[in-house]
Amino acid sequence: MIRVDARVCLGCMSCSNVCPSQNITRSEDSGRRTVHWKRCKEECDLCVELCPAKALSLVPWDENIPEPEISFDLVACRICGSPYATEPMLQRIESELPAEMQKDASGLEWIRICPVCRRDVEAEGTVRQMVLARSRK
Amino acid sequence: MAVYIDINRCIGCRSCEVACQRVHGGHGHINVHYVGDYAAVPVLCHHCQEAGCTKVCFSGALHKEGEVTAFDVEKCTGCGLCALACPFGVVWTDKLAHKCDLCQGREQGPACMATCPANALSDDFELAARRARERAARAAAVGGRR
Ligand code: SF4
Ligand code: SF4
Ligand code: SF4
Ligand code: SF4
Repeated sequence: MIRVDARVCLGCMSCSNVCPSQNITRSEDSGRRTVHWKRCKEECDLCVELCPAKALSLVPWDENIPEPEISFDLVACRICGSPYATEPMLQRIESELPAEMQKDASGLEWIRICPVCRRDVEAEGTVRQMVLARSRK
Repeated sequence: MAVYIDINRCIGCRSCEVACQRVHGGHGHINVHYVGDYAAVPVLCHHCQEAGCTKVCFSGALHKEGEVTAFDVEKCTGCGLCALACPFGVVWTDKLAHKCDLCQGREQGPACMATCPANALSDDFELAARRARERAARAAAVGGRR
């Protein structure tokens, strides 16, 4: 059986993706992601191995332990407002990237922006540079 | 190495998107964004020297191979961290990560580049820089601010 340390689980997509028996399910609706670990009797430990947060461990079978489930409110993009990531995932990124990388040239904290808006910002920035280059001539 | 864009040439036709999807089983790695009615900009991986995606990838699937930000599909778990660590939003994840691989393994090189009818994409930084300089020179010859 799987035990989950809810304090360190990121709510990412690793364990639910790698489980060969579909014992870990992930669902997403109205801005919430829920991960559910079914009782598992398999001898494999792929999910344990491949958890980026080392949140999982295998424990002996016990019917009395309820199946773990954790829900995460997805964080809303600061530009468009659409939910796009769990807070622990964003914090993990903030802890792993060097501080100077976490703001773009205009000071925008892009980690708190969804990938679609990041592309928009990049496209707008590219156009702004072109316009500037033209007006300098 | 990366594919460089010349937005002065891009006509916003999205042929590059289709070409990339075609050679990657439907998963495109390049997105054309429109800025008002004014311009179209293909957005794709810059193959950053200090690549955020590789820094957060815990499995080693995304890694640097010289100048290229390379991807080893065998190691990827689809955790989704890389997609959140790219400042440009050009990594996607479903069960696996997807990003520009410069059409690795394709003899003719990058498909987007070959397909672009406006010649707006190139993998030659020198060419991209030269075009920009020439444009500047032309504008200077014509004279004045616009
Ligand atoms: S792989 Fe680890 S961090 Fe990600 S959802 Fe599963 S238990 Fe949580
Ligand atoms: S995917 Fe993003 S962070 Fe990674 S090399 Fe490309 S542009 Fe840089
Ligand atoms: S989705 Fe794959 S490539 Fe991206 S960080 Fe996770 S393991 Fe690495
Ligand atoms: S070089 Fe290849 S993988 Fe990269 S964006 Fe162009 S078509 Fe896609």
